[in-house]
Amino acid sequence: MASAAIEPTIDESAIDKVEQTIENTFVQKVVRWVFSAAGITICLTILIAIVASIHKGPYILVNTIITGGMWALMAIGLSLLFSVMNIAGFAHGEYFMAGSLTAYFVMQPIGKYTLDHPESFITYVGPLIAILAGTFMCAILGVITERLVFKQLRIRNREGWLLNCFLITIGLSVIMQNGHQLIFGADFKGILAYWDFPSVPILGVYISMDRVCAFFIAALTMVGFYMFMMFSTAGKTIRAVSQDEEGARMVGISVDAVHIMTFALSCGLAGLAGASLLFMFPSYPTVGVMPLYNSWFIIILVGFGNVAGSIPGGFMIALFQVLTRSYFGEGWEAVIPVLLISLILIFKPSGIFATKVRTVWDQ
Amino acid sequence: MLLEIKSLDSGYGFLQVLWDISLSVDEGEFVALIGPNGAGKSTTLKTISGLLPPQGGEILFAGDSIGGMEGHLVCRKGVAFISEELNLFVNMTVKENLEMGAFTVEDSAKQKENLEFVYELFPRLYERENQYAGTLSGGERKMMAIGRGIMSSPRLMLVDEPSLGLAPMLTNEVFKSLRTLNKRGTTILLVEQNVGKTLKTSSRAYILEKGKIVLDGKSADLANDDHVRKIYLGH
Repeated sequence: MASAAIEPTIDESAIDKVEQTIENTFVQKVVRWVFSAAGITICLTILIAIVASIHKGPYILVNTIITGGMWALMAIGLSLLFSVMNIAGFAHGEYFMAGSLTAYFVMQPIGKYTLDHPESFITYVGPLIAILAGTFMCAILGVITERLVFKQLRIRNREGWLLNCFLITIGLSVIMQNGHQLIFGADFKGILAYWDFPSVPILGVYISMDRVCAFFIAALTMVGFYMFMMFSTAGKTIRAVSQDEEGARMVGISVDAVHIMTFALSCGLAGLAGASLLFMFPSYPTVGVMPLYNSWFIIILVGFGNVAGSIPGGFMIALFQVLTRSYFGEGWEAVIPVLLISLILIFKPSGIFATKVRTVWDQ
Repeated sequence: MLLEIKSLDSGYGFLQVLWDISLSVDEGEFVALIGPNGAGKSTTLKTISGLLPPQGGEILFAGDSIGGMEGHLVCRKGVAFISEELNLFVNMTVKENLEMGAFTVEDSAKQKENLEFVYELFPRLYERENQYAGTLSGGERKMMAIGRGIMSSPRLMLVDEPSLGLAPMLTNEVFKSLRTLNKRGTTILLVEQNVGKTLKTSSRAYILEKGKIVLDGKSADLANDDHVRKIYLGH
C-alpha cells in the first residue's frame, strides 16, 4: 500500500526531470553555439552589417547579400573538391571564366531576338537558358578535366598528391587563360543586362533586376545543394567518400563515379556563378582570378573541407569587402581581406568553424 | 565451394606479405584464420575484398574469379568486409551509415528487412539511431560496422579482429552475434587473435604464420594440436 502511494510522486518528478533536461539541452546547445567561435563570428557579422547599414545606408546590407551568395557558390565547389578528392583547386576561377564565356555566346542571339520581339517570353526565360548553358558547359569541362588529368595521376602516382594537384591546377589555370586569349581574344565580352527591366527599390536602394535574380539563383542553388547532399543517395555517396574512401568502397560505392560527380558539381557551381554574374564581370581571360581569391579567402576563413561553412563565409567576405570599399575607398578591398586571412592563418589555422571533417588527407 | 583461393601471393608494392596461400570456405561455414601479429591475416582479407590487388594466384567466389576486381564490384558480388579500423562514416548518423551499407541492395523491402534484423541483433544501435557514428563507444562502433556489413545481405562476410580493444563481455556479445548470423545462413571468414574463443566458435580454422598457411583442420582438432596449444593457447 505504502509503495503505491510513493510511486506516482517518483514518476512525476522523473517526467519533470526529463522535460527539464530536454529543455536544457536545447537551450544549452543554442548558448554553446552562440559562444563558440562560429557563433560569435556569425552574430558579430550580422551586428556589424546592421550597424554599418544604419550608419552608411542600407546599400551595404543589400550589396553584401547579393555578392555573398555567389562567392559562397564558388567556395562550396572548391570546398567540395578539397574534402572529397583533396585537390586544392587553383583553376577554379577559370571555370568561372568558362561559365561567363558560354553564357555570353548563348546570350548574344537571345539578346538580338528579344530586341526584335520585346514581348516574347524569351525575354524572361532567355537569360536562364544562358546561365544554365554556362553551368552545364562547366560541369562537362570539369568531368573532362577529371578524366584526362586527375584520374591519370591517381592511377599512376598517389604520392605527394596534394602538392602535385596544386601544381597541376595552376598549370590548368594558365592553359585555360591563354586558351581563352588565343581563341576568343583578350577584349571584354560582356552584356548590358540579362533582364532589361526597371530597377527594384529595396529598403530605399534601387537594385537592378539582374542582381535580384542573381541573389535568388544563389539562394535556390544553395538550398538545392543542401537537399541534394543530405537526402539524395548520390549526395550521400559523395559524403561517404569524403568521410572514408575505403569504407565507401567496402559498401559498394564506386569511388570513380563519385569523383566524376564531384567534379561536375564543383565546376558546375563555379560556372553558374560566372554565368549569373556576367552582367557585372564581362568575360575576359583573367576574369576568374578575383573570384578565385575570394573563394580561397572564404575557405581559409571557415576551415578546409567545411562545405556548409562556405555559405556564412561567403557573406562574411562579401560584407568585409563592401565595408572596406565604403570606409577606406576602392582598391583597399583586396588588401584588407588578405590581412585578415594572414591573421587567421597565424592564430587559428583550422579556420573559425574548426572543422571536424576528416578528409582523405588525414587518413 | 563459395570461396576458393588458389596459391595467392599478395602484398604492398615491393613488400610481399602472402606466399602461396590456398584456402577454401564452403557455403554456410564458419571458418577462422588465426595467427600471430604480422602474419598477413588482414592482408588476406583485404586482397579477397578487392582493396588490395593480388600479385599472383586466383580467387574464386561462387565460381567466378574476383582476383584483381575493384572493391565496390566485389561488394556487389556478395562479399562484405568488416575491417579492423571499421571505416565508418563518422559524420553520418547510425541510421545513415546503415543505409549506406545497403547501397547495393535495390529492393527497398529487403533493405527494411535487413535494417530490422540489424536492430534486432544490436538493440543498442536502435537506441542510438540518430547519433553520429563518430560519437559511439568502441563496442558500439564494432556493432555498427558489423551491422553495416549485414545491410548488404552478403553471402560471405569477412570479419577482421572484432575483439580488438573490446572488454571480454562485449567480445562475447560480438561473437554471439556472429554465430547468430552464421546460423541464419551467412558464411563467415573470421580473422582473430583471440585463439581460444575463436576455436570454440568456428567450425574450421587455418593457421597463418609468416605469410604461409602452416596448419588447417577442424577447430576442435586444432584446439588439441600440440603446436597450437604451445604457441597460441599457452598450455
